[in-house]
This record gives sequence, C-alpha cells and structure tokens, in this order.
Amino acid sequence: MLELQDFSCGYGGTAAVESLNCTFAAGALTALLGPNGAGKTSTLMAVMGHVAPMGGRILFEGRDITNRPPVDRSKIGIAVVPEGRQLFGDLTVEENLIVGGYSLPVAAARAEQEQVYSLFPRLAERRAQISGSLSGGEQQMLAIGRALMAKPKLLLIDELSLGLMPKMVDVCIEALTRVRQNGLTIVLVEQNTSRALSIADHVYVLASGRCVMHGSSAEVKDNTEIFEAYVGIH
Amino acid sequence: MTGYHLSLISLTGIMIVFAVSLNMIMGLCGQVSLGHAAFYGVGAYVTAMMSAGGVPTLYALPVGMLIAGLMGLIVGFASLRVRDDFLAITTLAVGFLFVGVVRKSRALGGEFGISGIPESGLGPAGDAFLVAFCVVLTVALSVYLSRNWTGLAFRSISANEEAAQTLGINSAHYKLLAFCIGCALAGLAGGLYANYARFIVPGTFGFSLSITAAAMVVIGGIGSTAGVVAGAVLLTLFPEIFRFLGDYRMLVYGALLVGVMLFQPKGLAGIPSMVRRWAGPR
Amino acid sequence: MYYVDLLISGVAFGCLYAMATMGLTLVYGLLRILHIAHAALFTLGAFVGVWVFNASGSLIVGLIVAILAAVVMGCLIYRLIYESILSQPPYVPLLASLGVLIFLQDGFRIVFGEEGLTVRHNPFYMANFTIGAFSINVIYIVMAGGALISMAVLAFFANYSRHGIAWRATVSRPLLAANFGVNVIQVRYAAFAAGSALAAIAGVLVALMNNLVEPHSGELISYKGLAIIVLGGLGNMQGAFIASLVLGIAESFGIGLAGRYVDRDAIAAVALIATLMIFPNGIGRART
Ligand SMILES: Nc1ncnc2c1ncn2[C@@H]1O[C@H](COP(=O)(O)OP(=O)(O)OP(=O)(O)O)[C@@H](O)[C@H]1O
Ligand SMILES: [Mg+2]
Repeated sequence: MLELQDFSCGYGGTAAVESLNCTFAAGALTALLGPNGAGKTSTLMAVMGHVAPMGGRILFEGRDITNRPPVDRSKIGIAVVPEGRQLFGDLTVEENLIVGGYSLPVAAARAEQEQVYSLFPRLAERRAQISGSLSGGEQQMLAIGRALMAKPKLLLIDELSLGLMPKMVDVCIEALTRVRQNGLTIVLVEQNTSRALSIADHVYVLASGRCVMHGSSAEVKDNTEIFEAYVGIH
Repeated sequence: MTGYHLSLISLTGIMIVFAVSLNMIMGLCGQVSLGHAAFYGVGAYVTAMMSAGGVPTLYALPVGMLIAGLMGLIVGFASLRVRDDFLAITTLAVGFLFVGVVRKSRALGGEFGISGIPESGLGPAGDAFLVAFCVVLTVALSVYLSRNWTGLAFRSISANEEAAQTLGINSAHYKLLAFCIGCALAGLAGGLYANYARFIVPGTFGFSLSITAAAMVVIGGIGSTAGVVAGAVLLTLFPEIFRFLGDYRMLVYGALLVGVMLFQPKGLAGIPSMVRRWAGPR
Repeated sequence: MYYVDLLISGVAFGCLYAMATMGLTLVYGLLRILHIAHAALFTLGAFVGVWVFNASGSLIVGLIVAILAAVVMGCLIYRLIYESILSQPPYVPLLASLGVLIFLQDGFRIVFGEEGLTVRHNPFYMANFTIGAFSINVIYIVMAGGALISMAVLAFFANYSRHGIAWRATVSRPLLAANFGVNVIQVRYAAFAAGSALAAIAGVLVALMNNLVEPHSGELISYKGLAIIVLGGLGNMQGAFIASLVLGIAESFGIGLAGRYVDRDAIAAVALIATLMIFPNGIGRART
C-alpha cells in the first residue's frame, strides 16, 4: 500500500530521517516505534507532504507521490491523525467532521458523518460544542473521526495514547479495530510500546532518523535485547 | 556651494539622525514603531517654542531631547505590556494622537503651526556644522551600542525575548533604554529641523513621516547603521534625484518601495554580500 | 436629542468601518499580513463607482463595476506582491503593502485629478428621513443597512456553507486543512475577493455621503483598519465588527464632547491606546 524507498527528509537542509526503507502492507496495522526525536512524526508528515523530501521516493499504491502537493492527499486516500490532535479549535465538532469530509461529495460526506457518530456516540452528543473545549479523550476521538470522514485507504496516527487515560485508549483502539474490518491500512506511531505491540502486525523501530530493526510483532518481542535498548518495554 | 546645496545637506543630516534613532528601536531592539514622527515633532515644537521665547537654540535643543526622551520612556512602558503587531499599532496611535492634539492646541499655533522661529545666530555654516556634529554623535552612539554589550543585549531581545530573559538579561531594562535613547535622538532631529525650517506645521509630523522613517530603516537594512544612513540619504534626496520624473515622483516612490521589498528585503545593507556572492567563486 | 444624533452617526460610521475593513481581517487571519493597501481598494471602488454612475446614470451598474474592479485589483495584489514574500518577516509585506497604497493613490491622482470626482445626481444628497422629532440622514440608514446585510451574508456563508467552514478551518490550521482537500490558494483568493468587494461597496457609500471621492479618501480607513483588526483580536470577524462599532461610537461622542481639543483621528487613537493598555491582546478572543 505505502512504500518508502531509500527515503530521506528534513528541515532546512538538515536531515531528520535518512535512507528509510519501509513497506506498509495493505490491510495491516504497522507500528512505528522509537525514542523521542527518532523521526517518527517527520516520516508521517513527509507522507502528508509537509516535510521536504531530500532523497528517495514515497510510493502509494505503486504511484510515486514524493512531490505531490499536500492538497492531493485526501483525494488519493490518505488521512492523518496528527500529533497533539490539531483540531480546528474554533470550529464545532460537526464542523471539524465536515472539513474532514471536504473532498467527498456532499451526500457521501453526510453518510460518512453518521458512520463516525455511530462509532463514537460521544461525538454525536457534543456535535455543536466548540472542539477546543472538548476533553482530551473526546478530542482524540474527534481527530480520528475527522480523519475517517475522508474515507481513507491509509490512516496515519501519531501518538494515539498521548495524554489519555487508559480507558480512553481502550475506546480508541476498539474503534480502530472496528474500522480495520473494512480493510483500512493503518500506520501507528506510539509511545506505549506494549500496547502497540499487542495490536500491530508488523513493527519498524527508528532511532536517530534510521531504521534500526523491523519484523513482525512476535519477532520483535522475541528480540528483546535490541528492542529494549532502543525503546524499552513500558 | 550654494545656499540651496547647503540646505539640502542639512536636511539630509537631520534625516540621518532621525532614521538612525528609529533604528535603535527597530533594528537593535526589534520593536516596530510606526509613530516615530511624534517624537520628532515633540523635539521640534519644544525647540521652536523656546527659541520663540528667546532661549538660545543650543539650550533649547537638549530640552527638546529630554522631553522627547521622557515621552519615549512612557511609550517604552507601553511596549512592556503590548508586543509585536499590537505595539506597532500602539505607536501608530501615539503618532495620530500627537498630531491631533497639536492641531487643536491654540498655544501651539493649531493648524497654522509656528512661524518666524528666530535664527540660532550661528550663521549658515554654523548651523550646518551643528547638524554635522549631531550626525557624527548619533552614528557613533549607534555603532557603539550595536558593538557593545548593551547592543548585544538589545539584539538578543530582537532575536528572541524569552531566551534573553533566561540568560539573565533583563529585557525590560533594555527596551526602556532603547525607546528612551531612540526617542530623545528623534527629538534632537526634530529640534534641528525646527531650527532649519524656521516654520513648522502639525501636518509635517504625521503618519507619512513616520512611515518614511520606517522605510529608510528598512530600505537601508534593518539593524545596520551604515545601511540606515544610506537609506536616509537616498530617500531624502529622492525628490532631487528623481526631479526629472516631475509629477510622477510618488508613483515611482511607491513602486520602488514595493520593488525593494520584493527583490531585496534585506535592504541596501544586503547588497555587499549579494555582490560578493556574484563576484566570488561559484 | 443631541446624544441620540451622536449615537446614530456613531453606529453608521461603525458599520461602515466594519464593512470597509473586513478585508483586512480576512487577509490577516489567513496570511498574517497587515494589508494596508486595502485602503486603496476602497478608493478604487469609490472612483470607479462614481465614474460609472455619472456616465451611465445607474447606481447599480456603478456599484457592480466598482466591485469587479476592486476584486480584480485585490486578487492581483495578492498574486503579484504578497505571494512571493509570505515567508519574510512581517514588516516586509507591510512596507510592500504601503508601497502599493502610495502607488495606487498617486495613480488615482494622475488619472482622476487632484480634486477627484463629484457625484453628479446624488439621490442621497441632503435627503433626510423624519420620524416625529427625529431626522436621520438617509445615507446613514443606507450605510448601516448595507453593512449589516453584507456582514450577515458573509457570516452566513462562513458558518453554514461547507466552503465557509473549510475557510475557517484554513484560518485555524492551514497546513492540516490542505490535507483534507481544502485548496488553500483558492481560499486566499476568495478572502481577497470578498474583502475587496466589501471595501468597494463601502467606498461608493462614502462617496455618496460626501458627494465626492478624492485620491486620498482611503486614508479614512487605512490606519483605522489596522486599529480595528488589532482591537478585534487579529483575524476574528465578530471581534472586528464589535471593534468597528466601538470605534465609530467613540469617535462620534469624542468629537461631540471634546472636538475642541482633539481631532477625529486622535480620538480613535486614545480609544485604541486605552483599550490596548487594558487588553494587551485585543478585545476579541485570542485565537489559538
Ligand atoms: N519543524 C521542525 N523544524 C526543525 N527540526 C525539526 C522540526 N520538527 C522536528 N525536527 C527535528 O527532527 C528530528 C525528528 O523529530 P520528530 O518530531 O520527527 O521525532 P519523533 O520521533 O516524532 O519524536 P517524538 O517521539 O518526541 O514525537 C528531531 O531532531 C527534531 O529536532
Ligand atoms: Mg513525534
């Protein structure tokens, strides 16, 4: 589904990610782990078109999208739940969802909105509330819902559990498990390593902008020495 | 040299003092001011009133400076409370307030201003020398401030206020100092202008003069004393240089401002490094 | 009676300021540029509107052509000037914008002459509307009504249409809005077009009020516009509207009560300084 080939990117000429080779298989949930500053967010934002590529290619469904402008992403089927949610804070819950579905025809967006509300009934109750005043958990639900509004084939999630209480994390993961049944491909960046390993099919571990190990969840778990050296098990 | 040339040179010197004084606030301290003409006006009115009252110019000038500097201190306190765009707008309002009050003040001559300001008694050459002396003083102070530790602290404020504060540099102190010195020197320039023109009206000290000063600083190269001097010379002599344009001068002036901002936003100060880049090895 | 008159003219001017400066709010919200050249679009609208009105005899035609001219000019200013200097420090676009204002104002002087244009058959000239003891200038009613209607249309669009919502999302987070398929460049053109159109309408109304348009007519709103967007909380539309009304009313009462000591601009300046000292971040809700 998504492939990074020898991919480098960075800010103002300094590389944040170097020579990354990753394959994110269709329908799989792939976890991207690593310490702070490893380049996880940079990788996701490069896929969204916001970090300048410095070499290599990004392929989506076999097409080279390395230099496509950010505005094309939702049309080709990529959506993001960014680090720190980044809701449109002055807009209401429903308006955030409307923006999420902006690239769909009106009728399709309406139908999708009902889907999101049935996935997160809590959002339906608060549809007229200004999103900036939601609780942390509700904000994360809205960020996921907003991304799902675009009917993506590939969903990038940055720091799902950041600042959430365990019960909220459960709600979000449960929702992701439900939407995965429709064949959605997911890339998950997570600090809560054990949580991530328990749901991921495949894992990449980054450190200082490079891939230091990868494999199936089970393989990575077995290789505890190297793994703990980089991320540690929480 | 004719009297006309001498007068042009004096005017240019006055504008250099004025532009460099603004650069102390904008360039060295990073606080955008869009009402600097008000302090120039304060200096001009104080000097004019005192001269008209019989005080010799050489005594009136420092008083004008002092009062302008004190007013600068007040605006400096405002700058501690509001920042960035908000401060720019506050200074803009100060400029309009000054003109608005002077315009309606009978004591200050209202709309008609003050005319018949007595001569300084120094003679044309003496006046020109006085201006030259003030230019040298201002430029030297500006270079000194930007080289010295005070200058360092000023510039660290303009680069990053929070970082400066954590380093233990008290940014409030320096902001106040910058406004105080900058506005006092603007008052000096205004006093020189009153002595030079011997006739002042409130309209002279309005928004367009503030903007002209800001344009001098920016076209010259914000923060660079040499650049700002060049900017002041260029813009003051602009009407002379472009005399052949006749009626279209403002049109060209506007276009020039746009052009500089589009193609050389570092101003004249950026030209040497640009030339070096062209001339140097690729 | 006298105070009611002051209030009426204050509200009328406030509404007018709101309409004339909405473009500044829209542009600042999206691009963080203090778009002072906007004042020239107000004057352009007034000149074109009056010229066409005089020539054709139809105010509606004049208004439409004025709007078109201002919209085209507004979009050109974005395309030719701002687009390439967006990443520069804020004083660069500000001074470039000022250059455009100087250029256009002098252009108006050259094309239309120093004295400007007079409205030939002004339907609002000396027209009064009387209820009982009250007599209101009809042009005040038209100014307030025109402003309220156009603001209502804009607010309706921004709050209830998909494109309007996408626009507000772009103001809030431009990069992310792009990822959901919002064309940020189109949104910018829309903002310039809408703001310029409102400025043109305001320009024509002021020309009708004064029976005259001069090359420097735009100065009425150039610096006040900046004051209004700052007071309104930078890019916040409701805030700007409230700030406009406050300014209009403060000026009106200020001139009525203290006009002997200060002029109109200075009263606005005092109101502005006082407000900023109390609310250093403007009246409107600080945007995140
Ligand atoms: N906007 C930026 N400008 C410059 N450098 C940046 C920027 N964002 C990130 N970096 C740098 O890029 C590197 C990778 O950062 P990135 O945010 O991608 O790491 P991360 O793996 O997401 O870390 P975390 O777990 O803390 O979120 C870091 O060295 C960081 O300092
Ligand atoms: Mg990160």
